[in-house]
Amino acid sequence: MSAKTSTKTRLEKWSIRKRKNSEETNIAGYIFISPWLIGFLLLTLWPISQSLYLSFTEYSLLSEPVWIGSDNYVKIFTDDSTFIKSLSVTFTFVLFSVPLKLFFSLMVAIALNKSIRGMNLYRTAIYFPSLIGGSIAVAALWRNMFGADGYVNQILAWFGIHGPAWISNPDTSLGTLILLNTWQFGSTMVIFLAGLKQIPQELYESASVDGAGKVRKFISITLPMLSPVVFFNLVLGVIGSFQTFTSAFIITRGGPINSTYVYAIFLYEKAFKHYQMGYASALAWILLVIVAALTTINFFASRYWVFYESGGGRAK
Amino acid sequence: MKRSKGLLAMMIALLLVLSACSGGKNNTAAENTSNTGKTDEDKASSDAGAAKTLSIMWWGPDARHEATKKALEIYSQQNTNVKFKPEFMAWDAFWQKLPTLAASKSVTDVLQMDAAFIQEYVSRGVLEDLSDIDLSGIVDPNVIDNLKIGGKLYGIPLSQNAQGIAYNKEELTKLGIPLPKKDWTYDEFFQWARDAKEKLPDGKYPIGDTTTWDSFNYYQTAMGIDPIMSDGGKKFLLDKELFMKFYKAYEDFRKQKIVPPADKAAAFLENDPNADPMASGVVMTRGATTGSVSALEQLMPGKVGVVNLPTGPAGGGWAQSTIFLSVSTDSKNKDEAKKFVKWFITDKEAGKVLGLTRGLPINPEIYKDLEPALEPKDKLGKEIYNQSLDKALPFYAPAPGFSEWVDMYRKEMEAVTFGQQSIEDAYSKIDKMGKELAAKAGGQ
Repeated sequence: MSAKTSTKTRLEKWSIRKRKNSEETNIAGYIFISPWLIGFLLLTLWPISQSLYLSFTEYSLLSEPVWIGSDNYVKIFTDDSTFIKSLSVTFTFVLFSVPLKLFFSLMVAIALNKSIRGMNLYRTAIYFPSLIGGSIAVAALWRNMFGADGYVNQILAWFGIHGPAWISNPDTSLGTLILLNTWQFGSTMVIFLAGLKQIPQELYESASVDGAGKVRKFISITLPMLSPVVFFNLVLGVIGSFQTFTSAFIITRGGPINSTYVYAIFLYEKAFKHYQMGYASALAWILLVIVAALTTINFFASRYWVFYESGGGRAK
Repeated sequence: MKRSKGLLAMMIALLLVLSACSGGKNNTAAENTSNTGKTDEDKASSDAGAAKTLSIMWWGPDARHEATKKALEIYSQQNTNVKFKPEFMAWDAFWQKLPTLAASKSVTDVLQMDAAFIQEYVSRGVLEDLSDIDLSGIVDPNVIDNLKIGGKLYGIPLSQNAQGIAYNKEELTKLGIPLPKKDWTYDEFFQWARDAKEKLPDGKYPIGDTTTWDSFNYYQTAMGIDPIMSDGGKKFLLDKELFMKFYKAYEDFRKQKIVPPADKAAAFLENDPNADPMASGVVMTRGATTGSVSALEQLMPGKVGVVNLPTGPAGGGWAQSTIFLSVSTDSKNKDEAKKFVKWFITDKEAGKVLGLTRGLPINPEIYKDLEPALEPKDKLGKEIYNQSLDKALPFYAPAPGFSEWVDMYRKEMEAVTFGQQSIEDAYSKIDKMGKELAAKAGGQ
């Protein structure tokens, strides 16, 4: 009995000390992250809340904002054909570019996961195009490749095919941008590569012993083991593609007609070309809600296909 | 373990959404802070007494940047207490930057202004009234009267400018196609295009297609009808009969391959050696202004000829000043800024350095000094101006608040050139939006 009590008090003492310690650690922790925290509050949270307010105003940037209630939202949803158009362009873009990019970067990552002499050089070379991203040089390159007399059409001409002016044709212009986005697979590929390296070799070895072939190993080991990484890249890809801007802005300027007029360009032009900051803020909030909703759906759907090894199976 | 991992992932996802969505806004905030820094600096320098720093911003090509920087040095040599903080960029960047500066009340002391935007910025109180600057003997009083907005002068005109059409003189002559003549009418222009097509090989076109509001506005005003926008945007008039006639003509041109197909036209990029409609050898003519034709001449030296815009019963085209220097209402050094803008068009040394980098200098005395040494590319600019002068109509800029309409006009007409909608449908959309904007501006 007495031994039991003494144990109890000792335990209590220990836990009090621990709590004290952890309080101190908390304060120190907050101090350490305060530069980031202050930055986040002032440069992220404040502008975001500011834009929520502005979305209920008419604000031309040059005169004071005027409160107009939900007029911006009403107009966007009931009387703005450009909103619908830009949203459908963006959805098309996301729908094609995300799966394509995931597939392509996974294939490249698998190819680069081999141990061959000079592999680091290959990895660097293949990652390189992603560094130059949405630059003017890429825009010029894309024009040279996909213009009416571009390289693509010159090659097609060898086979007697007369290709369209890919970039300046409203039917194909968005396709060239999807292709460009797919080509910029570098960072996704690097994450896949890291994920592949995490898969224990023993699994493959024991599968070999059981007589599994390459395809079988890929489907039964690589894919399930990699599914959290696929999921991560998917979420990131969807968010990123919804905000795609640079390539459409510098290569096609949203045209011809509105064929590449993605949501972010619509938002940008409303804000900085036509100075309708209130309207643009409302558009930004609608985009936030759409992206947040899709991300939530992604998380729910992930239950059914993402495999967490440490969780003993399916994710909660 | 299972739960915490899911939670962590959820949190990361939320953070991603938030930080990704706020990316653009961070930039603006950063820009604003840097601008505030600048105004503080200006304040400090004006407090210091005689020593002043004037900030100045302009757009243009490299030649203009270099010349202007030299002119600023000359001013600093003549007024040792004045230093400059120049910012210079291309046209697009300039008009993207200016609204943010205006919103944060940190517009540079002196800034270049364009006729297409000056009304908008005056209506928003960004530009200082410069009516009290004495320009007699420097600028023609008629020119100044024409530039006044609500009876006040907000920009000091720098140069004479005019709109015309450049043509590929060499190739037209070679093919035996008669060269366009001064003061040609729209009917003659259209007929010239039809005739020229017959002598041109496949893949070459006499004229370009048109999708922008201003080219139709030239037509409407040349026919003696009011401009599309007038009275500061309160009046809107898009003449349906003329609209149908004008764009029907172009529709026929598209069928007969007198203008290039739409996807080809969409890929043109003016002044790009490979993609310029004329320099690439695809189209025989294109629009050019006094200020811009020299760039085209440099791409195809000795091959360019110019003519004024087609005319109608009322005249055609424009010939007047479109580039100005203005002073910001936020400036802490207004007196010095006003002194400087006058000096900019008066000082002979500066005039020599600046040359024709902003068009034909507005000050006749300075132009006289430059004339003997003009290069062929500069002479073309002068030629456009001379040809346009006697038939010229006023320069019509988009009314304040119509920038979106301007974009929409182009897109609707683009849809017509791609065969995706009828001229009639385009008309009703363009007309509807224009009338709504006019009603919003306070018109009927």
